[in-house]
Amino acid sequence: MATDALRAQVAAKWQESFNRLNRSEPGITGLMSFSEAWNIAIEALRPKDLSISPTDTTSSLQRWNAVKPSKQQVRNAFALVNQCRKLPHLLEVFLEEMRKKQPLITREVIMYMESYESTNDVQIVTKLIGRLVEWYEAWMPNPELGLGPIPTTTYTASFHTFLFSILPPTFSAGFKALVETTIRSPPHTFSHLWPIFESLGLIDRYETLIASVGYEFIEAHVKETCQQRWGQPLLPQLRTWMADTVVPWMLSPYARGAKNVDEAKVMMQGVGSRFDFHMHKTLCDLRTSEIFGIIVDYPDSTGALQDLKECMNRVDQRSDLVHALRQTNKRRLLHPGADTKDILAQYVSTIKCLRVIDPPGVLLYKVADPIRRYLRERPDTIRCIVASLVGDGESGDSLVDDNEPIQPLQQPDVENYTDPEWNPEPIDAGPDFRANKPSDVISTLVSIYDSKDLFIKELQVLLAQRLLAVTDGNYDRERRNVEILKIRFGEPALQVCEVMLKDMDDSRRTDQHVQSQKTSDMHPTIISRHFWPTLETSDLKMPGQFKALQERYAKEYSVFKPDKYLKWLPNLGRVHLELELEDRTVDADVPPLEAAFIELFSEKDVWAVDDLMSKVGTVPRSAALKALGTWVDLHVLTEDSEGVFRLLNVTEDTGARAPVPRPGAEEELPSIMSVQQQQAEQMKVYWKFVEGMLTNLGALSLDRIQTMLKIAPGYDRTIEQLAGFMEAARREGHVSVKDGMWKLAR
Amino acid sequence: MATTTAAAEAPGSVTKRLSNELMTLMMSSSPGISAFPKSDSNLFDWAGTIEGPTGTIYEGLAFRMSISFPSNYPYAAPTIKFDTPCYHPNVDLATGAICLDILQDKWSAVYSVQTVLLSLQSLLGEPNNASPLNTDAANTWSSPKEYKERLMKNYRPLNDDKPPAGKKI
Repeated sequence: MATDALRAQVAAKWQESFNRLNRSEPGITGLMSFSEAWNIAIEALRPKDLSISPTDTTSSLQRWNAVKPSKQQVRNAFALVNQCRKLPHLLEVFLEEMRKKQPLITREVIMYMESYESTNDVQIVTKLIGRLVEWYEAWMPNPELGLGPIPTTTYTASFHTFLFSILPPTFSAGFKALVETTIRSPPHTFSHLWPIFESLGLIDRYETLIASVGYEFIEAHVKETCQQRWGQPLLPQLRTWMADTVVPWMLSPYARGAKNVDEAKVMMQGVGSRFDFHMHKTLCDLRTSEIFGIIVDYPDSTGALQDLKECMNRVDQRSDLVHALRQTNKRRLLHPGADTKDILAQYVSTIKCLRVIDPPGVLLYKVADPIRRYLRERPDTIRCIVASLVGDGESGDSLVDDNEPIQPLQQPDVENYTDPEWNPEPIDAGPDFRANKPSDVISTLVSIYDSKDLFIKELQVLLAQRLLAVTDGNYDRERRNVEILKIRFGEPALQVCEVMLKDMDDSRRTDQHVQSQKTSDMHPTIISRHFWPTLETSDLKMPGQFKALQERYAKEYSVFKPDKYLKWLPNLGRVHLELELEDRTVDADVPPLEAAFIELFSEKDVWAVDDLMSKVGTVPRSAALKALGTWVDLHVLTEDSEGVFRLLNVTEDTGARAPVPRPGAEEELPSIMSVQQQQAEQMKVYWKFVEGMLTNLGALSLDRIQTMLKIAPGYDRTIEQLAGFMEAARREGHVSVKDGMWKLAR
Repeated sequence: MATTTAAAEAPGSVTKRLSNELMTLMMSSSPGISAFPKSDSNLFDWAGTIEGPTGTIYEGLAFRMSISFPSNYPYAAPTIKFDTPCYHPNVDLATGAICLDILQDKWSAVYSVQTVLLSLQSLLGEPNNASPLNTDAANTWSSPKEYKERLMKNYRPLNDDKPPAGKKI
């Protein structure tokens, strides 16, 4: 029930609205003119259907065309609407009209996108965007109408919202392809597209997509130009490329609306540094993934290392590099199939490479650790290092750079904090990182092991082998090596080697003296037992004239040096023989065992192997057969039946069998026990102790055995070594273990 | 060491002698005898093992013994006794004490653990019945079957897994 008050209120409102529209015009003429203006305005804003060509425009449009109001009229109409404060309402009506017409655009978008999906042709996307912008512009309220910015903004926002709501998901892919085309084309080819993208709001909406196009473009370029090319630093080249290619492209999307160069610079700063960072990161990733190959190729890959170093400064991926390298090393290097020499070579290259990237050596320390641990477990590491120490130049690729000055091994020294150049350790250095100052490669290699004594021992073995292998009496090379090593390891360590060298000289002098007293066909090398590594002994006894020679020589020697006693090691000798047979003479340079056998054949012509063996002390049967085989090959002996040999005083045609060279039949190096063998020998002694304690003290734990073994002189094994040893003894059935207690197997 | 007196030197040289003897004993392979220090900290206390010589009534049996060296060793004889009960004319069955001349008045510094153990081993097969510690054993010696029976009744095989139990009489 409308009350009077309400009625009065409605009447007042009505009056007020009427007054506003009628603008105090007489009667309702004001109202009439407003209505006309409203119609004109609405019609001016009406979204047009672009799919209808102007020629066949029909109905209302035509009708309005007939009485098309002039621009001035339209402007007046808008002014009037505005004056009556009906502009917001007008806009609402306009937007409503637009909503009604939206299906027109939707239809076209669907049509274009379907065609794109089936062809993947970027041109279609371009066309679609062109068409969309036509729509956009056609519907846009004419700015000349003096409506101020609000209608345009509202219209644009509404159009964008609508547009994004109808664009199918495939559009982003198409748009991306289009953007990619723009970046791949020469700059400015597509510069006209960007304002269009902007007016359609595509740049803001697809900002990440555009950026990703940039990133991908950079990635592809870096991959294409840098992969597997390590010789030159490529960063400068890449930077130029960025400046020439990427930056001009960036101008359009990122510096739009910049009024001058400076403004553009400011606008592009953020995105520019992101792209720059991405370029570095991509290169860094690429190099990191290639690091193993780069190290293998060192020093031909110095360029790549320089790049990597620069990238590392920009991109903090040090831990990634360490991780990648450790992984590859583990997969490609530290496995049983790799040669120790190769591992060492790679390690040395790694040292050199990582020094380039990271001079303080933190990266190296982290990468080297597994390699060092692995090398420590390899039995022949020391041997390899030692061989390269003395410049075993035959193989060609020595680990040591010849140009590198020979210098003493470096000991880790205490940091000098008073040094004005002192710097703290790098931030990612581990707690056990030792700031190893750039030291030479050999020092680093030697430091794989805790003590250099092992090296000295192995050096002695190696030197012994080489000295005994020298036949022409020229020891200059070995002397030079010892001198070099003295510089590295210091004099005291090389004392034993000195004695060994001196022994060789002394032998020659002694021999000269003995020969001057009584000429002998024998020229022994006399070595000091105490200073030489354990030489492989054998119970070979030389028969016949050899024995006589030995005895005669020993006699002369004892006259010369009454306080010394000669212990013969005939198995290490070498014999030059001339065999006078009935129809021929055979000249041969053979090992002693061969000589011993052929000497026996001068007693009688036919021998059984077992009889021969019994005449020369104890030799393994295999060695004996091998020795006899040598003579068979030389057609001096023939094997009549299994194990029975006959001397061929006259050549017999044994078939067209040419002397077969026996591979490995000759021993290249005198048999000197390696450090390992020596250790095994020592372990035999300790086994006696273990046996003794287990017999008398009953079952013992490993710890207890280890402690008790301290009684044994010179025992220096770790409990791990002992465990390995006990395990070996268990496999051989000497001991058994139960609940950690070891006892003798009975 | 700051002060070097004769007394301080003596154990050093004894230790050296003992470790030499140990080394010799370990490296020589004398069948059936063996000895080893009971702990690495005290070289003066050893455990020994003697196997009965083949062809004697003790064949196949093994006897554990303790050997303790005096501080003036080798000028005084080591004290040796059987830990494994040994039924023997010259061995006290209850205490394991041994009656052997070289361990008493006939001791000489030239003897060593090895020689003593070898002597003891041969003593097993050739007892000195003239001065018996165990008269019962001396009397039964002439009847091997009965002797063996008593020997086995008292014998306790070595058991590595358990420490020797307290002596039973």
